Amino acid sequence: MKKLITFVTLSLLAAFSAFAQDTPYQKAMKKEIAKVIDADSLPELQQSANAFSRISELNPKEWQPLYYNALAYTYQGLNARLTTDKKDEVLALADALVKKADALSPENVEIVTLQGFVIMAKLSADPAGRGQSLSGQVMQTFGRALSLDSKNPRALIMMAQMEAGMAKFFGSGPEKACSLAKQSAEIFAAQDEEALKAAILPTWGKNLAERMVKTCQ
Amino acid sequence: MRIYLIVLLLFAAASAGAASAGAASAGAASAAAAQTLISGRVLDQKGGAVPGANITLKGTYDGTSSDADGSFAFETDETGNQLLSIQALGFKMQEISITCSGQPIAINVSLSESINLLTAVTITAGAMEANDEKKSVVLKPIDIVTTSGAMGDITAALLTLPGTSTVGNDGRLFVRGGDASETSIYIDGLQVGNAFGSTASNIPTRTRFSPNLFKGSFFSTGGYSAEYGQALSSALALNTLDLPLRNQGDISIMSPGGGYTQTLVGKQNALTASGNYYNLAPYQSLVQQNFDWKKSPSSWDSELSVRQKWGNAAEGKSGFIKAYFHTEGSTMAIWQKTPGNDLPGEDSRGDRMALNNRYSYGNISAKHSGNKGWFFYGGMAFSHNRDKFNINYEPTRQINQLVHSKAVAVKDFSPQFSLKNGLEWYVKSYSEALTDENRKRNYTDHQFNHFIEATYYFSNKLIMVGGLRTGHSSLAKETWITPRFSVAYKLENRGQFSFAAGRFKQLPEEKIRVLQTDLKKTAATHYILNYFFVNDNRTFRAESFYKIYDHLITYKGSATSPARIAQNGSGYARGIDFFYRDKKSIKGTDFWITYSFVDSKRHFANYETKVQPSFAPKHNGSVVVKHFVNALKSQLGSSWSWNTGYPFDNPNLPGEMQCKTKSYSDLSVSWSYLPKPNVIIHVACSNVLGRDNVFGYRYSSQPDETGTFASLPIGQGAKRFAFIGLFITLSKDKAANNLNNL
Repeated sequence: MKKLITFVTLSLLAAFSAFAQDTPYQKAMKKEIAKVIDADSLPELQQSANAFSRISELNPKEWQPLYYNALAYTYQGLNARLTTDKKDEVLALADALVKKADALSPENVEIVTLQGFVIMAKLSADPAGRGQSLSGQVMQTFGRALSLDSKNPRALIMMAQMEAGMAKFFGSGPEKACSLAKQSAEIFAAQDEEALKAAILPTWGKNLAERMVKTCQ
Repeated sequence: MRIYLIVLLLFAAASAGAASAGAASAGAASAAAAQTLISGRVLDQKGGAVPGANITLKGTYDGTSSDADGSFAFETDETGNQLLSIQALGFKMQEISITCSGQPIAINVSLSESINLLTAVTITAGAMEANDEKKSVVLKPIDIVTTSGAMGDITAALLTLPGTSTVGNDGRLFVRGGDASETSIYIDGLQVGNAFGSTASNIPTRTRFSPNLFKGSFFSTGGYSAEYGQALSSALALNTLDLPLRNQGDISIMSPGGGYTQTLVGKQNALTASGNYYNLAPYQSLVQQNFDWKKSPSSWDSELSVRQKWGNAAEGKSGFIKAYFHTEGSTMAIWQKTPGNDLPGEDSRGDRMALNNRYSYGNISAKHSGNKGWFFYGGMAFSHNRDKFNINYEPTRQINQLVHSKAVAVKDFSPQFSLKNGLEWYVKSYSEALTDENRKRNYTDHQFNHFIEATYYFSNKLIMVGGLRTGHSSLAKETWITPRFSVAYKLENRGQFSFAAGRFKQLPEEKIRVLQTDLKKTAATHYILNYFFVNDNRTFRAESFYKIYDHLITYKGSATSPARIAQNGSGYARGIDFFYRDKKSIKGTDFWITYSFVDSKRHFANYETKVQPSFAPKHNGSVVVKHFVNALKSQLGSSWSWNTGYPFDNPNLPGEMQCKTKSYSDLSVSWSYLPKPNVIIHVACSNVLGRDNVFGYRYSSQPDETGTFASLPIGQGAKRFAFIGLFITLSKDKAANNLNNL
């Protein structure tokens, strides 16, 4: 009986803190995630990266701060105002953070997708020089993400983007890319974004999917 | 009862929660009074603003980033003694103790630079690297296979780089006035014996190893690290692929043959097996040949490669072990005309030369990065080469064996300073036999080497590397120490200067050594000054060099039967070379231009005096162009290689090496077409202009009745060489192709 009481107490307390009150960790994460999604300048993205790095330092066992820290650097690595050298510098940081996240949470579809996104950003820093060596790696990484979860909307839209590029190059139709984009957009539309946000899980990519579906039509 | 309890607990918990929430807000209210404002500026050592620095109150969520002018400000509820940490990309982290008491704190921080290996200066003197990861490289690994005219031969692609000379009747690597034996080749750090296919004299050879085995290469044309020895001129280090991407089968169907490669990939391991067969007979029966083949060259090879990875690099400890085995066989038979020969019948065809070669190479290499900045690598390699020559029905057999084992430990004492220490043991043995007469001679030599190399970064702009290599040969009964040194300085504008110098030793070639086993080492000293500039898609490299040779082998008579072997030869090579690569100026086009000037004279082999050697043309150049045509799904390539001609000795004239062939020129074109993502069609043709290149002349050993020595030009096997190949990749991933086979 006593055991049961403790159990119930504990689980209720846990439930309470989850619903009623965020831990400082969750509070900080939610605040910074909201910021990084809207960040559209290099200084803002650096601020986000710094903020997530502060959070990881206090929560070394959580993969999400590392994940978002890497995401903030990946967005920087896609900024056209940076030189290739500078892009490579921030993408190397992103890469190292993704690897750390992967070590904490192996076989995680979100982390593997981000890993592919980082390589894709490296590729787009110098498509002529790196296309041949990296495009295979990107496809393979997104492929691995989809084999972990074929319904992950971010893995789907990322793969759709690569497929679109391949189709353009080989002059084949955009059907495959578009069907992936459509699948991704549908999953985005059906998911409960608020619940994901509450659980500090990734939600980004919806606009990307919607835009691509539009160009497909 | 139970339900009641739960309800009660629920209530209690809720009120407890409310209470704690109340406490928290009370805490916040009281802290508001004691909030401390921390502000300041983050600057570099020169007083410039450092934007984007991460400022953290350690152990809390409080912190901020510096803005464009380096200033920052944030408030904290914490009180008492705290640690403020400031971190920025490219700088060392700094921690400052502060006391938060509600009074504003203003701090200016000056950060000192940290060494960033990604952008820091690198030593480029003598070095030309093909790498996907690094900056200061002249090539990408893919360039080696897509260079037109190279026909998939690693060496042929490297011959479009500065500091090299094309010697069309040899095919091996000739670097800066050095002969082909002066270049050592390594796979994963372990030396490869007989890296080039066996061939008859004046018939060009090629590298035995397919370029798609490698993820990158490091080609040094001088002044290289203490890690490499037994090479007077050059070192070529090839690094094999780590883990391939996927399971796949690669089929190749080519005009000279075909093959199949199967790749199996696991999570942490991979296996690749391949087999190829080549026979030039069908091609040579269709296209007119200058060489008088009795039996066209044919060969087979098979390869097996196994790789296993362990650990996780992000967690500190990780490693890799690779095993690679290659075996092949080849045969050919050819008639080679003798100058002044006017014999009737079959004898008019000259000397009959048949060759049967068997070759195997295997290596096991491992690397492991451990904790506290330790890194270990090493391995063991074995090569076995057997050539059965049959010259005018006189059979001979030559066996060359090489065992190389190596263990290296590297310790990073700080981001600035690292020390490399290595031990090597070589066993080299050679035997040659006249099979019919049962006569044989041979030798075995054990060589022990130790090398130590220190690397020190003074800053991101200045690096210095110093090394010592010690060697001992049991056969030559001598020990030597050779110093190596290099330094590089990076300028503000992405350009950098490097300087390298060193002393290099090499024991004589086996064919000479077997005649006189007590021969000592030959030696060379290098001085190299290099300027390197890389900017997004443009690369410029200029390098001048001075190389002094001493203790070179000299002998009387011909290379096949030398007499009075001595070691009093000497010589020098000096010059300058340029390289410019541009991927930007012309849309869809990537091109590079090289020019190398070599002034070399040496007294060695059977030269009587100090003369320009036959393999060192004075002016050398090349132009390589790759153009991508999206509409055709094709890459069009062209390469042009040129030099001012090869010196040769004409016994009809006074003096030595007094003549020079006409200039050499070869324009090659290629076309790679990707009709589907997994199919490549590659068509290539060398010397499309059909120029009749001459690499030298052979003279009769005796003068004829009129007192003149008859001659024959040493030329090309055929006017042109055309190639067509179809490469198909089979895998679940339809987009995969074997671009590496281009």
